[in-house]
Amino acid sequence: MASEFRLPDIGEGLTGAEIVRWHIAPGEPVAADQPLVEIETDKSIVDIPSPYAGTLLYRGAAAGETLPVGAVLAVIGAAGETWPPAGPAERAGTDRAAPIVGTLREQAQDLTRPAPAPEPLPAPEPLPRPGPGSGLAAGPAAGPASGSAPGSVAGSAAGPVAARPRALPLVRKLAASLGVDLREVAGTGPHATVTRADVTAAAAAEPPAAAPAEPAGADDERRPLSRLRRTIAANLTRAWAEIPMVTAFDEVPVGRLLAARAALQRRHGVRVPIDALLIAAVLPVLRAYPEFNASLDGDTLVLHRRYDIGIAVDTPDGLLVAVLADAGRHGLLALAAEVRRLGPAARARSLPPAELTGQTFTISNVGAIGGGHGTPLVPLGTTGILAAGRATPKPVVDGSTVRVAPVLPLSLSYDHRVIDGALGRRFLAMLAEQLAEPVLFLA
Amino acid sequence: MVTRTLAQAINHALGLALSDRDDVVLLGEDIGAAGGVFRLTDGLLDRFGPGRVIDTPVAESGIVGVGYGMAVAGLRPVLELQFMGFSYPAFDQVISHVSRIRNRSRHRFTAPLVIRMPYGGGIGAAEHHSESTEALYAHVPGLKVVVPSRPGDAAGLLRSAIEDPDPVVFLEPIRLYRAVQEELPDRPPLVPLGAAAIERPGTDVTLIAWGAMMTETRAAAAELAADGVSAEVLDVRSLVPLDVAAIAGSVTKTGRAVVVHEAPRTGGFGAEIVAQIQQRCLYSLLAPVARVTGWDTVFPLKRAEQHYLPGTARIVAAARRTLAG
Amino acid sequence: MLQILAPDGHLTAEPPATVDSRGLYRAMVLARAYDRRGTALQRQGRLATYASFEGQEAAQIGAAAALRRDDWLVASYRDSAAMWHHGYPLELLIAGRTGHERGGAPPESVNVLPPSITVGGHMLHAVGLAWAERYRHVDRVALTMFGDGATSEGDFHEAMNFAGVYRVGCVFLCQNNGWAISLPTERQTAVAALADKAIGYGMPGVRVDGNDVLAVYQATEAAVLRARGGDGPTLIEAVTYRVGPHTTADDPGRYRTEEQTEAWRQRDPIDRLRRYLHAGGHWTPDWQDDLDREAAALVDAAVAAAEALPAFTAGEIFDATFAELPPVLAEQRGWATAAGGVGEPDGGG
Repeated sequence: MASEFRLPDIGEGLTGAEIVRWHIAPGEPVAADQPLVEIETDKSIVDIPSPYAGTLLYRGAAAGETLPVGAVLAVIGAAGETWPPAGPAERAGTDRAAPIVGTLREQAQDLTRPAPAPEPLPAPEPLPRPGPGSGLAAGPAAGPASGSAPGSVAGSAAGPVAARPRALPLVRKLAASLGVDLREVAGTGPHATVTRADVTAAAAAEPPAAAPAEPAGADDERRPLSRLRRTIAANLTRAWAEIPMVTAFDEVPVGRLLAARAALQRRHGVRVPIDALLIAAVLPVLRAYPEFNASLDGDTLVLHRRYDIGIAVDTPDGLLVAVLADAGRHGLLALAAEVRRLGPAARARSLPPAELTGQTFTISNVGAIGGGHGTPLVPLGTTGILAAGRATPKPVVDGSTVRVAPVLPLSLSYDHRVIDGALGRRFLAMLAEQLAEPVLFLA
Repeated sequence: MVTRTLAQAINHALGLALSDRDDVVLLGEDIGAAGGVFRLTDGLLDRFGPGRVIDTPVAESGIVGVGYGMAVAGLRPVLELQFMGFSYPAFDQVISHVSRIRNRSRHRFTAPLVIRMPYGGGIGAAEHHSESTEALYAHVPGLKVVVPSRPGDAAGLLRSAIEDPDPVVFLEPIRLYRAVQEELPDRPPLVPLGAAAIERPGTDVTLIAWGAMMTETRAAAAELAADGVSAEVLDVRSLVPLDVAAIAGSVTKTGRAVVVHEAPRTGGFGAEIVAQIQQRCLYSLLAPVARVTGWDTVFPLKRAEQHYLPGTARIVAAARRTLAG
Repeated sequence: MLQILAPDGHLTAEPPATVDSRGLYRAMVLARAYDRRGTALQRQGRLATYASFEGQEAAQIGAAAALRRDDWLVASYRDSAAMWHHGYPLELLIAGRTGHERGGAPPESVNVLPPSITVGGHMLHAVGLAWAERYRHVDRVALTMFGDGATSEGDFHEAMNFAGVYRVGCVFLCQNNGWAISLPTERQTAVAALADKAIGYGMPGVRVDGNDVLAVYQATEAAVLRARGGDGPTLIEAVTYRVGPHTTADDPGRYRTEEQTEAWRQRDPIDRLRRYLHAGGHWTPDWQDDLDREAAALVDAAVAAAEALPAFTAGEIFDATFAELPPVLAEQRGWATAAGGVGEPDGGG
């Protein structure tokens, strides 16, 4: 059985050697360790001893030729054996010892980047566009590898806006099992994360697959609820189930308030929505009674230091709450401008999710439509909501006389787990006082 | 423009550094007359003389301790330890002094030195010559650790490391020394420390690797592409400082990640990367983050080496698992 | 063993021409005052731990005095006398012992590394420093101080070997004070004289009476001149004695007798020099009083300054890790300094 002897790297980094002189001719016998051939490396001329005993069948190169490391130097076998054999070449055991420092692969893979841009990738599945501030701006089409400049780590937190909704892996699995598309669920967690409850609510809001129990009237109209309506329904169902809420009522003469509003509008030439005045009036009351600007987290009442005021906006598709963020840092005119922006934007359904969730207190002013008192529902994640009706002329007792003045109905619903009746009364009382005497909050 | 292998690019960069700055000195065993056991310092003794290319006694701790003293005095030593497996006698000097003198002296004394060492396996070498313990160095506060996988990056990172005011461990994947080449300008651009590189953009899964494993990772991405899977390939390049923003950005985009290294699994640097991904991208993950690593065993000798080193197939399989269900 | 001043204060050889004996005496008195205070402060809980050098003042100050101002000194945690003499501010030496990193930052002009807490690792640093100065064609030398125990560490061998092979301009000063914590020198090494180890490295070895400040000065001056002249390194063994414990956490009674210590007290370096000065009319009780007062005032001021240093805030512990904080570390710094001190990643950022 012939054994191949491949040229070893005896120089620890040797790439090839020149054959100087063969000591054995093909057909001649050779003993183990007997000098077989003299080779020249970069450094010296060296005798290579035969690793095998037998007959030299084949020489890999002639004297004067160069052989690369790893190529067959000699084949030693039995006398009379032919090599290479007729059939497919069989590799004999070729355990050439590796040099101490190892054997480097010599053929280099070329990593040079081609000068033009690489082939465009297949278009990915359509996903919502990354928002502004996305780290993907550099884009995949850049030719040389765009090593990202080492940026701040916090940049990763704000980072590229996820092309898909945020949700814990467990929630994704739940959504998949319930057949809910996460992209269609409004997330109520931090940073608009979709929570498990959001998913179950969305699943529950699916129209029932079963046919109605009994045939209804032949000309009944069946109107499937819109996605928004389903979402509203799910949220209200939970709020109703989870929050023991009560409502306190009051009425406030707002003659001075309306006069102040008119004066401001004349002076500044802009519309000052009632909502803006309500917000301005309610902020000091929220500061005085922080329980109304809070969330109940298990057994902990989280008092928010920021005032993100939700404003109910009536839209053709249903009631939306637009959130005026950080109202506490706005003056009245800035509040007015924000309210003027949010209302139409909400109606046009152009507000991003971040401006539709996360309010810390809600004001619902349906006064424009008409109506007096009501029992608004406290939205999930908050502890209070104020509804104002339409200011209508009413008889008002002033000392010992009766006069006619515009009176605004107020309805304040709150989470009775954390706010007692007395506190609710006090809140309303302070608010009423401010609305009656606007100088108290405009100054 | 010249095509250079990884080894040639490093050799070229050392020559540029020695030319550009007269405070750069090289110390190491067999780096002068012999030009280095892998020829990385070939020709430099002739060009710059024995005062600047210094053949030292066999004394790893001495090389680093003396180099440290030189750095404190204001030179920019580039120290070579012949293999990562022989760097351990010097580890005390690294962790007790080199990495912490700036902190110990509140910036009064600093050690702007570079320690180069060949590392990693896959060349069938004898015991100790295939080490991949970069996690030990990355764990030392005050030390920077970089690993190029391409000739251009090797030249650019080495130049940046020499210019860096802090000590840098520069790891050279032995298996790639002559196995990769790249066409480079005569002055390869500096590559900043702390910056990863998206070598290949993709959308379905992020493959994260460094050093010699980049070869298998690139091959895995190509194989996945043939199957219609768009893999993004991220070369970490800098373990410390780590480019967390790039990693988090990529995984947030793709939702899936595979981290690849040849070092042993437990406590390997991949674990740190996975922890960062978990912290910053959990809400975008579509699958658990996978690790493809060496086993928690001593690196096998040549004849069983192939059972240890992660190959392209393991990386492809891991990527597919992140895409399933 | 080289000696110039016998324990009873009389000269046995010509004193070195350049020496300032009164200056050396003053320096040793100040050093001892600090040393006594160090132990006391530790007993009061004001220093974390203290390593007394009592008995070794001559070995340290005699050597440091032979250096040029800009020569490097790389010394150990016990060598405060030498470091102070060579310009390291006393309040910083003390601050380091109170546990404040500011103690590791001497002024720009002071070429003294912070005291080495590791045993045996720092001699290599001196070799590198001296080598770099020569590379820059500057004739500064480096003196490194270490004890008998350090000669057993592998890095001692590597440092001596490098220095010998490359003829580096550094001086190795070994204070053989008889003890490495509890191991006596005769069990630390098989040679009778540590100076003999120099043979193995191709450099001269000189053995001196370490409690004779004049001899230490002379031997070091010669070695420094050799180094500065490009003739390479020298090993000096200063034979002395550690009168106190290894540190304030050590109880020497567990491993040695009081007789040995008492015998060495008879060879005290400060007494010895005072006798010599007194015999020559250069010491008076009034001068001693002045020195004692000066020492007390200096030490008091240094202690006060060290203790007045405000401790680092949570953020400041980050600030000298690198030249500039990389993003991951800057983020950690933010967590560490967040209100309430409970900052951590907020999970899913």
